Amino acid sequence: MAEQGNRFLADSLLAPKVGIDDPFAAAVHATRMSMTIVDAQAPDMPLVFVNDAFLNMTGYARNEVLGRNCRFLQGPDTEQDAIRGLARATSAGEPVNLDILNYRKDGVPFWNALQISPVRNAEGQVVYFIGSQVDVTARKAAETALEAAAAEQAKTAQQALADRTALLHEVDHRVKNNLQLITSLLVLQTRRTLDDSTRAALQSMLSRVGAIATVHRRLFQSHDLERFDVATFVRDLMGDATSGREEVEVELDLESVDIAAAQAAPLALAVNELVDNAFKHGLAPGRPGRLALRVRRLNGHFIIEVCDDGPGLPPGGQFEPGFGLTITQLLAQQLRATLTFESGEPGVRATLKLPADG
Amino acid sequence: MSHPLSVLIVEDEVLLAVELGFLVREAGGVDVGHALDSADAVRLARTLKPDLALVDVHLSDGPTGVDAAREIAGSAGAIVLFMTANLKRLPDDLAGACGVIGKPYSDRAVRRAITFVARCLRDGAAPELPPPGLVLSETFVRRWGVDQLEAAG
Repeated sequence: MAEQGNRFLADSLLAPKVGIDDPFAAAVHATRMSMTIVDAQAPDMPLVFVNDAFLNMTGYARNEVLGRNCRFLQGPDTEQDAIRGLARATSAGEPVNLDILNYRKDGVPFWNALQISPVRNAEGQVVYFIGSQVDVTARKAAETALEAAAAEQAKTAQQALADRTALLHEVDHRVKNNLQLITSLLVLQTRRTLDDSTRAALQSMLSRVGAIATVHRRLFQSHDLERFDVATFVRDLMGDATSGREEVEVELDLESVDIAAAQAAPLALAVNELVDNAFKHGLAPGRPGRLALRVRRLNGHFIIEVCDDGPGLPPGGQFEPGFGLTITQLLAQQLRATLTFESGEPGVRATLKLPADG
Repeated sequence: MSHPLSVLIVEDEVLLAVELGFLVREAGGVDVGHALDSADAVRLARTLKPDLALVDVHLSDGPTGVDAAREIAGSAGAIVLFMTANLKRLPDDLAGACGVIGKPYSDRAVRRAITFVARCLRDGAAPELPPPGLVLSETFVRRWGVDQLEAAG
């Protein structure tokens, strides 16, 4: 039967003359789609039919290809995966579609979108493979160019990110060093200053620069550069501030509260002034005292309280703000916060109330 | 250790070095030398044999402080404390240093850190948890028993 099948197809397609009495064979000959037929049962599966479109595409003459296995189309850069895929499908008698790099007779490579289907006889044996080939070199080139462009773009983006990170570290480093330099200059000047009020002014400036430095140290240590944790800052600030005044007992009650990084420096300065103020007026040197700092969230606001147990507000609650409190009031305005001083019984309670959306 | 703590300062910013000198003396130590670059730092550490070297990462010959610290902590046998704004440049083992103070630091933080290290060296153990601003290396957390203090709360 197989012999008969073979002959039937061979007769219809391989006959030297085809005409309108066999419109199917004529169509296969004439189509611009490259088509081939392979004898699946002959040794090494030779080509038994190729149409003119195949010859045009590959540059071979008919007598150069008939009787040969199609592997003459393969060349040095043909992917082994594609070759193995073909072998697997043909030995299993299964259809296969794949893109394979082939070579014309003149050696010019082209991408072949190959489709192969088995043709079975009445007994179900595979007697032929019918193949069609489309030259997709242009599409492949476009795909490769697109991939290369995407890879290049990814590389550029990665490099840009690396540059940006390096720049950020460099700037961070310089800012820290400059803050350190400013601090050291103020300390050196304070050491050389004998006048008490000048010394006090320099020390106040030192503590303000210190507050900004603490913010900066924290801001770049955290992973999120956009947010700033007030509780951590207050803990740092008090760790530094209390060491000179061992007789003052400090009580911290800190909820973790985030603010926008842009608000960190003004808030830090304001809190620093309030603490400084409490030390100056509420907690006289040499007297044991108590300083309480609370940070909490309440009804869409952040509340920061600084309480001392000193002599409290002057009668009537009115007092003339000094420079420190003046800048605290200005900073509170900037932060859209309210600043109040109340009698804490004993002492003074300063409260800074900020909207929590910032 | 009955003598006052001897300290070598390795810092390329002269003003910072001068100020550190004051802080060392205020903390009861003696500042025995000052190096601006890594070669000087290692040479002075070998000849002066200080108890403690305060080392910046960035020196006048580049980011050489880490290598210098390794030499000083190794062959020169001093305790090294980094003082740097470049925390990210430090290796995980801190190059053998006992710890690090991040810049910008306050004068109080440095005084307390030096006092703390002096007591650890004298007693061979930490008197209390390290002061704010001082971060110890894992090796020294164990050597000075800070892990036990932390566990004890």
